[in-house]
Amino acid sequence: MAGLHLEAISKTFGTQTAVERMDLSFGDGELTALLGPSGCGKTTLLRMIAGLETPSTGRIMLGDTDVTAQPAHKRKFGMVFQNFALFPHLNVRENVGYALTIAGVSKSEAGTRADRLLDLVQLTGFADRRIGQLSGGQRQRVAIARALAQEPDIFLLDEPMSALDAKLREEMQVELRLLQQRLGITTIVVTHDQREAMTMADQIVVMSKGRLEQVAPPDQIYNAPANSFVAEFIGKANFLRGTVRDAGVVIGDSYLPISPPPRFINGSPVQVVCRPEQITLTDAGPLMGEVVFVRDLGASREIHLTTPIGTLVAELAATMAPTTLKKGDRVGVHLPVAALHLFPDGAAPDQTAMAAE
Amino acid sequence: MTTIDDTAFAAPPARSRPNWASGTNLILMAIGAVLIVFCIVPFGLVIAISFGQKIEGAAWEWAFTFENYQRFFVGAEWPDTVTFLYLQRLGYALWYAVIASVLAVATALPFTYLMTRLSRAAQARWLVFLLASLSLSEVFIVMGWDILLSNRSGLPALFKATGLTDWLKDVGWFDVLREWGLANPRNVKFKPSQFATILTMSYLVWPYAVILLYPALSRLDTSLIEAARTMGARPFTVARTVILPSVRLPVIGSTFLLFVFLLGTYVAITVFANPAQHTTAVSIYESVRGASLNAPFGATQAVILLITAAVFLGLGQALNRASGGAR
Repeated sequence: MAGLHLEAISKTFGTQTAVERMDLSFGDGELTALLGPSGCGKTTLLRMIAGLETPSTGRIMLGDTDVTAQPAHKRKFGMVFQNFALFPHLNVRENVGYALTIAGVSKSEAGTRADRLLDLVQLTGFADRRIGQLSGGQRQRVAIARALAQEPDIFLLDEPMSALDAKLREEMQVELRLLQQRLGITTIVVTHDQREAMTMADQIVVMSKGRLEQVAPPDQIYNAPANSFVAEFIGKANFLRGTVRDAGVVIGDSYLPISPPPRFINGSPVQVVCRPEQITLTDAGPLMGEVVFVRDLGASREIHLTTPIGTLVAELAATMAPTTLKKGDRVGVHLPVAALHLFPDGAAPDQTAMAAE
Repeated sequence: MTTIDDTAFAAPPARSRPNWASGTNLILMAIGAVLIVFCIVPFGLVIAISFGQKIEGAAWEWAFTFENYQRFFVGAEWPDTVTFLYLQRLGYALWYAVIASVLAVATALPFTYLMTRLSRAAQARWLVFLLASLSLSEVFIVMGWDILLSNRSGLPALFKATGLTDWLKDVGWFDVLREWGLANPRNVKFKPSQFATILTMSYLVWPYAVILLYPALSRLDTSLIEAARTMGARPFTVARTVILPSVRLPVIGSTFLLFVFLLGTYVAITVFANPAQHTTAVSIYESVRGASLNAPFGATQAVILLITAAVFLGLGQALNRASGGAR
């Protein structure tokens, strides 16, 4: 199987555009996370792939086969729903064996294969239970086993962790990723949880308002966000507003050199973005800040500072942060040049920001 | 060592009952009294009268005889002769009610399912239309169907005029209709027939069937259907393996409710059914108000009809519990 490709796909409901025209590829055996806030079109995109919605434009290619016009029941795409959608009138084994039973596989054969899948998701001995007798995590495993029963070409999961508590969610993210790697099945997961996407995905597709914002591996999404939306949505970030001048940015009365020099024409309003953990604190420096709040997070400490260029949050590993630091202390603030990202400031009154290239 | 004061274990002071509680009791007692006077007493009277005795040429008198029950089951002349006339009428009542209620639910189910897939506004329009049709009385509906199925002005006349009757004769289906009692040598005829009786009875309760099934079908989790589709289920398989099992209880419940409701159908039977195939409800009316003026025997038939309905409801309950226990 040569992966899944979406060509010029889009979806409109009446006058409302849910998914803007986009091209996307999902590598064979890879796990891709569709990540974005509520209403960004990620679930609509997944439903189009599953065959539960018809695209307004474009094609869905499974390898060289166009599956756009194929109804859901002919696609052989296994799907795990947000609420798991387990059949309450069937027991666990019957749920898992459903796809096999309706395909004409004998009841005993379907039962044997269902039991094997239940072993795979570590639910051995639960086959005869009713769905109502299972916990949230167990239900999710049943839903995964059920979707895998038909040996799908593509495995789709719509916010599969949202019904689980925080601790279980983290465990299941790792388990699901290990299972996916073991089976080597092309998988697409819809999530609004960046942590979930970062934990599981080979590739993250960040979406907002029906548009693609960035498609990249997790480390690139985090360390080299394509725009201010991605920078803000993924992880924490400090946002500073300034104006480009020569090889740097003027913020208030301060001048921040940028390397390599910004690709904006002089005078462009820009946003300078810096991750909190990339800020370092020193005893003294060209940029001084006053500590206004210290938040102890156990493994790390969050230092909120006021500086001449604006309010900044620095996150230091607990072992690195001076424990004596307290409100009112003055410290030197170091923003590493390589950690600064520049984006056009769309909200600035002067809309002249543009790339020089 | 800590000493616990005994007062710590003392019972909390009794709370004084608020005034509204006694007011609620009064209302409940009043409702209870109304129920007793208007429901329990008449019901008790019917049971008591069912053991009464008919006085030839006059009314009836209180008594405690099982003659009426004997007449119902084996005939008045038993043990010399045995007749099952009234059991037969009960049989027809059950037959019509079973078929009509099953037909109503079986046709209302797909309709209601498709209705729940429409937009909210469209659903509201359909529901208003169906609720409005409930305001039509049985007499009015039967009159309409009477005209529709009448030999001179209804569908048979239309069959004749459009040449459909001739076509049926040509293809040989006319003979089949004659065998089923739905045609005379000249044309199709629907009156009197079980077909017309059951069709009209089914139509009578059809809006109720839709309204009874609507809540369950509108609450049906669409993700269950979608999950089945992604697992390779065709629409018919989805209906058979997901939708029907999900609404099994409301379907069984609605069928039993409509069945009990239809046991008492009177007007449709008198208009459409062959007199030899009349039901207990018609027989009750004939006994109480008809030529015989035999209130005790009418009451007996009413009690037996009621017990039959109760037995079937009990069976339905047991069926529900048996299949529910397997869930």
